[in-house]
Amino acid sequence: MLLHPKALAFFVQSGFITPLLQLQSDPSMFVASAANQLLAHILLAIQPENKEHANIKTNTEHSRVVLQTTDHIKESLVPKEGTLAAGSLQVLKLLALILDQARRPLRDQLLMALAASLEELAEAAYSQMTPALMDVIMAGYSPDSDDVTSRLLSSMLNVNKPADLVQAAAAFLHQSHSCASSDAANIRQAVRILLLPLHFVTGHPLLGTAPSADTAIMTAQLKNKSTFISMICVCLRNTPQVALMPPGILPCLPAMIVLSVVTLLRICSGDASTSSSSSSLDGCKNEVYRCIVNCGKVQKSALEALASLSSSPGADSTMNEVSEILVHYMSNPDSDPTVLQKSYKAFVQWTSVWTDLSFISQQLREDLFMGVEKRACDPRWEVRDSTIEFLGQLHCVPTRKSADSALLSERLTAPLLREALQDSESYVRASAVSALARGFRSFVPDGLQGTELSQEQTDTVGRLLKILCEDTEGFARRAVVRYFMTWLSSCSSPPSSPPSLLLESVRVVLSRGSLDLDWEVKVNTLELAELLLDAAFSDHGRCTGAENHPYATFSTHANGQARAGDAALDSALSSLVDQGVFSVLLSGLVDCDRPVALKACELLIRIRETIYGTADVMSVSCELPEWGWGKEIRKMLKNEGDKGQRVSVCEVLTSLALDERRVLLSQSSDYVHNSFQSLLQDILSAGVTLGDAGKDGGQEVIVDCY
Amino acid sequence: MKLYCLSGHPTLPCNVLKFKSTTIMLDCGLDTTSVLNFLPLPLVHSPRLSKLPGWSAKDGTLNLEKELKECAGRVFVDSQPEFCLPERELLDLSTIDVILISNYHCMMALPYITENTGFTGTVYATEPTLQIGRLLMEELVKFMERVPKAQSATSWKKKEIQRLLPGPLKDATDVWTWKRSYGMQEVNSALSKVQLVGYSQKVELFGAVQISPLSSGYSLGSSNWIIQSHHEKVSYVSGSSLLTTHPQPMDQSSLKNSDVLILTGLTQMPTANPDGMLGEFCSNLAMTIRAGGNVLVPCYSSGVIYDLLECLYQFIDSANLGTTPFYFISPVANSSLEFSQIFAEWLCHNKQSKVYLPEPPFPHAELIQSNKLKHYPSIHGDFSSDFRQPCVVFTGHPSLRFGDVVHFMELWGKSSLNTIIFTEPDFSYLDALAPYQPLAMKCVYCPIDTRLNFHQVSKLLKEVQPVHVVCPEQYTQPPLTQSHRSDLMLELQPPPMAYRRCSVLSLPFRRRYERVYILPEIANSLVPSEIKPGISVATVSAMLHSKDNKHTLLSVPKPPPAPPTKKRKRVMEEPPVGQAPKPLLSGAVPLEAFLALLQKNGIMEVKVEETAEGHILHLQAEDTLIQLEEDGTHIVCDNNEPLRTTLRDLVLRFLQKI
Repeated sequence: MLLHPKALAFFVQSGFITPLLQLQSDPSMFVASAANQLLAHILLAIQPENKEHANIKTNTEHSRVVLQTTDHIKESLVPKEGTLAAGSLQVLKLLALILDQARRPLRDQLLMALAASLEELAEAAYSQMTPALMDVIMAGYSPDSDDVTSRLLSSMLNVNKPADLVQAAAAFLHQSHSCASSDAANIRQAVRILLLPLHFVTGHPLLGTAPSADTAIMTAQLKNKSTFISMICVCLRNTPQVALMPPGILPCLPAMIVLSVVTLLRICSGDASTSSSSSSLDGCKNEVYRCIVNCGKVQKSALEALASLSSSPGADSTMNEVSEILVHYMSNPDSDPTVLQKSYKAFVQWTSVWTDLSFISQQLREDLFMGVEKRACDPRWEVRDSTIEFLGQLHCVPTRKSADSALLSERLTAPLLREALQDSESYVRASAVSALARGFRSFVPDGLQGTELSQEQTDTVGRLLKILCEDTEGFARRAVVRYFMTWLSSCSSPPSSPPSLLLESVRVVLSRGSLDLDWEVKVNTLELAELLLDAAFSDHGRCTGAENHPYATFSTHANGQARAGDAALDSALSSLVDQGVFSVLLSGLVDCDRPVALKACELLIRIRETIYGTADVMSVSCELPEWGWGKEIRKMLKNEGDKGQRVSVCEVLTSLALDERRVLLSQSSDYVHNSFQSLLQDILSAGVTLGDAGKDGGQEVIVDCY
Repeated sequence: MKLYCLSGHPTLPCNVLKFKSTTIMLDCGLDTTSVLNFLPLPLVHSPRLSKLPGWSAKDGTLNLEKELKECAGRVFVDSQPEFCLPERELLDLSTIDVILISNYHCMMALPYITENTGFTGTVYATEPTLQIGRLLMEELVKFMERVPKAQSATSWKKKEIQRLLPGPLKDATDVWTWKRSYGMQEVNSALSKVQLVGYSQKVELFGAVQISPLSSGYSLGSSNWIIQSHHEKVSYVSGSSLLTTHPQPMDQSSLKNSDVLILTGLTQMPTANPDGMLGEFCSNLAMTIRAGGNVLVPCYSSGVIYDLLECLYQFIDSANLGTTPFYFISPVANSSLEFSQIFAEWLCHNKQSKVYLPEPPFPHAELIQSNKLKHYPSIHGDFSSDFRQPCVVFTGHPSLRFGDVVHFMELWGKSSLNTIIFTEPDFSYLDALAPYQPLAMKCVYCPIDTRLNFHQVSKLLKEVQPVHVVCPEQYTQPPLTQSHRSDLMLELQPPPMAYRRCSVLSLPFRRRYERVYILPEIANSLVPSEIKPGISVATVSAMLHSKDNKHTLLSVPKPPPAPPTKKRKRVMEEPPVGQAPKPLLSGAVPLEAFLALLQKNGIMEVKVEETAEGHILHLQAEDTLIQLEEDGTHIVCDNNEPLRTTLRDLVLRFLQKI
């Protein structure tokens, strides 16, 4: 409501700011947060456009509100003894919200008024407030000016608590990308802060020689395991961004950062013999190990960092180390499912960066395959699922060289995928189907001909159809339909005779998919039908899809061309009818699931537009069953009495009132259920029913309308 | 208090604790790793093993072709396998009063200790420990007796010969103490000395100490022990586990407030997480079966196998292994599977509650019912007619030196389709496989050791806070192969006391108190006087009566009215009737008040000197010194007895008489 200037003015003039400020410190987070939003909105909305045009009334109101708010903030910014820090946190959030969008006079005014309190807060170094305080600082900060925020920032970047320091540096780096060039000193400091823990733990000289004071501070951190771990995780989360910094700012080569993350992963898995180079670590090796060996949190963060570091400059010089550690994690029996999944993800990311896979030794390839093979039989379904997904993703990595250089040859992985089709867990089956679809081109090398498929491949297709017919879970069935979509779209023109395995299977998929109970399977089936439409009408000039305007006129030139294609259109249409596409669309049209009906409707409209005005297609007819959707369609065509099995396609398309139907279907169900009209109808109908039930008690009618 | 360490093996301990007047043996584990130096005992004649060349020194000086055989570059003793016994010379075994057994793996040396050594004590163990221990011993005896070996190799053990031998044989220690397996008669005799106890049951040993077993969570009936007197508590922690497997969970809280905690039986595989290994086991098993190969799992007939079967029960359907037969072959297979189902009270809560449904607590019953799991006493008989491949075989012994596993190694070793999966952590798998090399079959090592790891144990110790910890020396340094893993060792303050084989440790704590009972009538006669708020003292005259380590104060018997005729003879036996004991004094002499009192009594010239212990009062006129110290007052005056008495009486005025 307060978007309206008059309402806003009313709100302010009626003195509602005071209760709003009280609500701002409400113990309920929801209330406090809503109050924050509202306060920020009011302050920002009534700030004068600029000084010349400000009218006096608004100006006084504005300064009153600003003063009131500033006082409130000042009062509750620094937590007093015995009060909870939650209040200060909310105030900081409010301040960040305002400063983020405030223009010059307001911004300066606020900062001037609050400078002392903010500095006090920064000096007190409350750990839990660091992120919120950094938000405020960064919202008000600009590197050019030497105002209070710059002072605050430099004090935050020099706090004596490494955990807070890391948080502050991360927040600064995260939000400072816009002003990177002009604020080199602070950025350099932040990068240093974020690299120090890695330097300390892994022993890689990321910072050259770190001063012993830093080492001492880090050693002190080891006393609290959870803070140490979260500090390492924050650093890891930011390493990808740090590695992208220009060389002038970065104290080492980006590849060195990659190597240090690799070493950290090694330490995490208990294999730390390589980190002996560190002299700083010697004294507190035990504590470091005790903290991070087998620590899932660090492993996950490090793997995520490693995945993102694949895009850092010069990263491919670390291929050997990265590939080795990732393969190690994939085959390590102690890796938990999430760690494993992240290793897979990182591996896929890196393989797409490596231009030449020949550096990966035969031994490593074998280890990789052994690991993957083992994981495909793992008792935990999550592991099997991510393994199968990984195999699918590896297929998608573009291989720049011949197929031989692929990391895992098709010959090895195909049996694993086929085995996974029979997995007891539906997610795994679905992933296996998708993986088979992804590895399509190499798996069915000559899919066009269909007849030349090997026995194994034919078997696989049979198994997929079986999944579509028999599987109890929707995921797997959906994946099967998508598999055939991939196959179909990879063939430029599937030959219709002799009937290939592909076309035969597609026919089965269409008929089974349209009868499925899962609406997403049905939508996918319709998408498959759409592919067939594309293929059938691809030669036809008028088929450019739904974007064609229905009333567009054709030039005589185009008309002449079209006539020549009429015969082809006729045969395309009849082949679509033969393939069962038309039946699928008609059955979809009367489907009770709205997205299915909408999709079918759109496709039918497309056919209608394509064949519009073509005389030759009048003779094409299709069969309508006497039950189910056939009956429904008949009802719509109003020829219920006519028991003839076949109807003309053109006639059906023109008399189904498809456009009206599309309009209706494209309105979301909310439109019907949540409209005022519907609410009113509910009330009225309830009133009528109740009123009828007891006419005397008509006054007692209470309608509960949420 | 002393601890004698008879075994150097950290997970197969054998220690003797001398505590108060008792001698308590804690476990008697049998180190079977010595059998790895011997050739396997094949169940059916193996042409390969019988054709192995004999070994003789290259320079021809030594010829032991009959005793030693060479296989794939290693030398093995061709004789009945022998075991490394606990040290028997350090201590006279006949003096041992009791043996406490913590789990069935730690009692395999029992017959060597209790038989033919003069042992007359009692062995305490829980019922499952006894029954399953009996099964394991029986199995061992059968494995050995089934394939008797005529010759016994001894020449190689001679010191001057042994040092010339190659490889691990040269470095084997105490080979002269190695012994062949015992027989059934010894087993039965040893086990007849076992007395059963239940968890938390308190057993008095000669009135001196009380022992009590606590659940340790490692295996069926496994226990830690508390040995305590009225004022001291020693905890013995052996093979314990905090994981949720089949046994009752570990009782940690009762270990609190120990003066000494003897810590043994930590995991042998600190870097292998049991969950990960179980997953690895299942994956490799499924992979092999899918490829048409067989899986061989060398294992003990009780313990982890129950968990493996339970895990497979859930896994076989999801991995489409429903039709693959699982065979469990052991002379005691049937008893082991059946026994596990009847020890309901020793199982974890989850399994206990199943019994009330009623359902068998372990799902292997269902596997047997549905014919997926079949068990046989040996490969002879029914097994040969039922045998179908590909299959999974669980059989012993995990050392691969005896038992039915030897046959399967010979049968399946040549095909790379087959896999052997090691799950028992007791033996190095490479050493176990050595006499079968070259081997084509795949080997997978996934040792499942559920015992406490270093992380868990440091947490446990932080919680129970013992004053002193005693442990094998292996736990005080990182494992040899991973010297950088300083997290894989015990780091405690104060540092733990480490022991090795043959160590004798004097445990660093002194017994300071002993409980003495007092009879009610004597208690009645006491007159306590308070010397400090809350502390009262009283003197007591009584006769101390000690019997069975129980001490009681009895009233002094009055001399019987002796008949006058025999008076002379009884003189010696009469209790000495002394004078009433002098009263004890307590309190302190306050300086100022004392000076005032002296003044009142006419002693005016007093020079007070302050010393480290108190004060010296110099009565100059009388030439007398009074030393006032915290625990004594001395009056030094020469030849002036009246003055001394006066001064004494003045001092006594400030003191309290008890």
